[in-house]
Amino acid sequence: MDSQLYLLFTLAFYAVGALHVVAHAFTRRRLLTTWTVTATLAGFAIHTASLAQRWTEAGHFPAVGLRDGTSLMAWTIVLVFLAAYLQTRVEALGLAVYPVAFGLVLVANFAPAPEIGGAILKSMFLPVHTTLAFLGYASLFLAFTMGLAYLVQERELKSKSPQRFYYFGPNLERCDTIGGASVAVGFGFLTLAIATGVLWSHGSKGRYWSWDAKELSAVIAWFIYVVLLAARLRDGWGGRRAALLGILGFTAVVFTFLWMTIFTAGAARASVGVP
Amino acid sequence: MIVVVGLSHKTSTLELREALAFSADQLAAALSRLREEAGAREAMILSTCNRVEIYARSDEGGAEAVARFLATYHGRQLEDLQPAVYRLDGADAVRHAFRVAASLDSMVLGEPQILGQVKHAYHAAEGAGTLGSALNALRNRSLAAAKRARTETGIGHNAVSVSYVAVELARKIFGQLRDKNVLLVGTGKMSSLAARHLVENGARAAVVGVRTMERAQELAATLGGRAVPFTSLRDELAATDIVISGTGAPGVVITRPDVEAARARGGRRKRPLFLIDIAVPRDIEPSVAQVEGVFLYDLDDLKSVADANLRERRKEAAAAEAIVEREVREFLDWQRSLDVVPLLVDLRKRAEEIRRAEIDKARSRLGSLSAEQEAALNAATSAIVNKLLHAPTVQIKEMARNGHSPEQVSLIRKLLGL
Repeated sequence: MDSQLYLLFTLAFYAVGALHVVAHAFTRRRLLTTWTVTATLAGFAIHTASLAQRWTEAGHFPAVGLRDGTSLMAWTIVLVFLAAYLQTRVEALGLAVYPVAFGLVLVANFAPAPEIGGAILKSMFLPVHTTLAFLGYASLFLAFTMGLAYLVQERELKSKSPQRFYYFGPNLERCDTIGGASVAVGFGFLTLAIATGVLWSHGSKGRYWSWDAKELSAVIAWFIYVVLLAARLRDGWGGRRAALLGILGFTAVVFTFLWMTIFTAGAARASVGVP
Repeated sequence: MIVVVGLSHKTSTLELREALAFSADQLAAALSRLREEAGAREAMILSTCNRVEIYARSDEGGAEAVARFLATYHGRQLEDLQPAVYRLDGADAVRHAFRVAASLDSMVLGEPQILGQVKHAYHAAEGAGTLGSALNALRNRSLAAAKRARTETGIGHNAVSVSYVAVELARKIFGQLRDKNVLLVGTGKMSSLAARHLVENGARAAVVGVRTMERAQELAATLGGRAVPFTSLRDELAATDIVISGTGAPGVVITRPDVEAARARGGRRKRPLFLIDIAVPRDIEPSVAQVEGVFLYDLDDLKSVADANLRERRKEAAAAEAIVEREVREFLDWQRSLDVVPLLVDLRKRAEEIRRAEIDKARSRLGSLSAEQEAALNAATSAIVNKLLHAPTVQIKEMARNGHSPEQVSLIRKLLGL
């Protein structure tokens, strides 16, 4: 089997998870069932095989261009989700993760194969920098999810007439704790990713910093998280404000990611500098 | 046949149920009298504040006699109790017994006490010696079905009483309640009940004495907390996670500036504050709800959450009903298959008699047989009997499963000469 076929199977398994979790959200039973988790694990295993296969086929770390970028992003998100779910057993995480993982793999399935070549693909910075960045994105996505969950749950509680989310959503304390932990972890990865990115840029272009939109948004995101973490640690910030900042920070992250995967898909951009 | 006779919150007033209730020490005597006076072969009495019911095994038309017993035992005329008393038999009685145990017939859908009450009732009947195979089977199957309904659906989920709703909300806000500080303002019954639930979950209580310190100290002692004077209410507020306020004061006791000041102090801005106001008129200024991180619930809000939770339970009730219905059907099938057991036993017995008689005749003609020949003869005749009886046995069991009439059974008996 080639990596594309693997990816198609992955899509099928993630679809099971996504449909399950959405259907369960409407019927208000438990969000995740043994079926959902099993489908995820199977999907994740095949996804891993797909990435390994793709790595062999391409001859470089599969993180460049829309197809490989979305696929690897989905893989990292599911990985981080599984880790967080096993740790916390918060099922509502699945509500955000499954549809997003499904969507990303869907894009990966239909995106054209990248036409990128050049020295950057051989660089050791490619696997190191992208792995760090993607782990950071996935953790910050988790923080974003928990921030949304916090706001929705808070609205449910303030409304006094609970709707669906009140019943299956996590409590505020959990949203806040998991959100805080994911931001801390994500921030660590993001910092390392930016540092390796700067070194890589120096190695390939001779400049540490070139002020393009991607670099700028990465730095904006980084500063938002600095503010958020400082407020949490120093002033005991939490709850609503932390949730809002987490959401804001992630918006900047999404911009960085989109910039990197979409606009660097062409060979021309790629030669200027991937991630 | 299993019959159920009685009255419940659906058909009667509390007053009437009280008049017809059986106290625990009356049960044994009442159960034996049921057997002697009402022709019940087996009997069980379930007497709670929401229902008084007699479950019995009796003959055709036995329900009427049981109903009459229920009235005369309490010195009433059955006619005067109508239409409160229902009489169910056969499948209806079984279905009712299952639904009651599963809390589907309860006043508060899914309430957990009924299961224990049903268990106790069967236990009492067992002690009185009025529990036979039929009611015992009903007990096992209905309790198992009730447990399934409870674990596989959400009929027992989400709090539906005001004091438990307070605990549920506290959990939704704080997660764990361990080491959370609860401040009780006023010593009303409902607020102390809610505080007790919170303390049972690990929270620490402090009681503010509103008019006198005496009641506050008493309540604090039972809650394992401390009593504080009213003058230190504002100081306490700064260190509190949950406030339950239920004073009889005519005006506002906790104002918005109080809360804002408390949250500004001691770096408490981060943690949420949960305020429960169960006083009428209200103790806490309503605009406090607009302060960031503050959740204010008054009595109406708690009731509205309880109502929403009850609606959730009702949605789950359909699934629970389906489980119970499946179990009822299985029970009825099994019960019907019991009806043809005597017929099958008789059929077997008759065939065996014929076989033995014919072997004896043959033996007298054949003279003495070796052990081997004896065995061969036995094996051959047994095989003939078994093969002949196999098809009718299967058919009769099948017929029983599909619901048979007594006429069918008697026709079969006639045909087979039993």
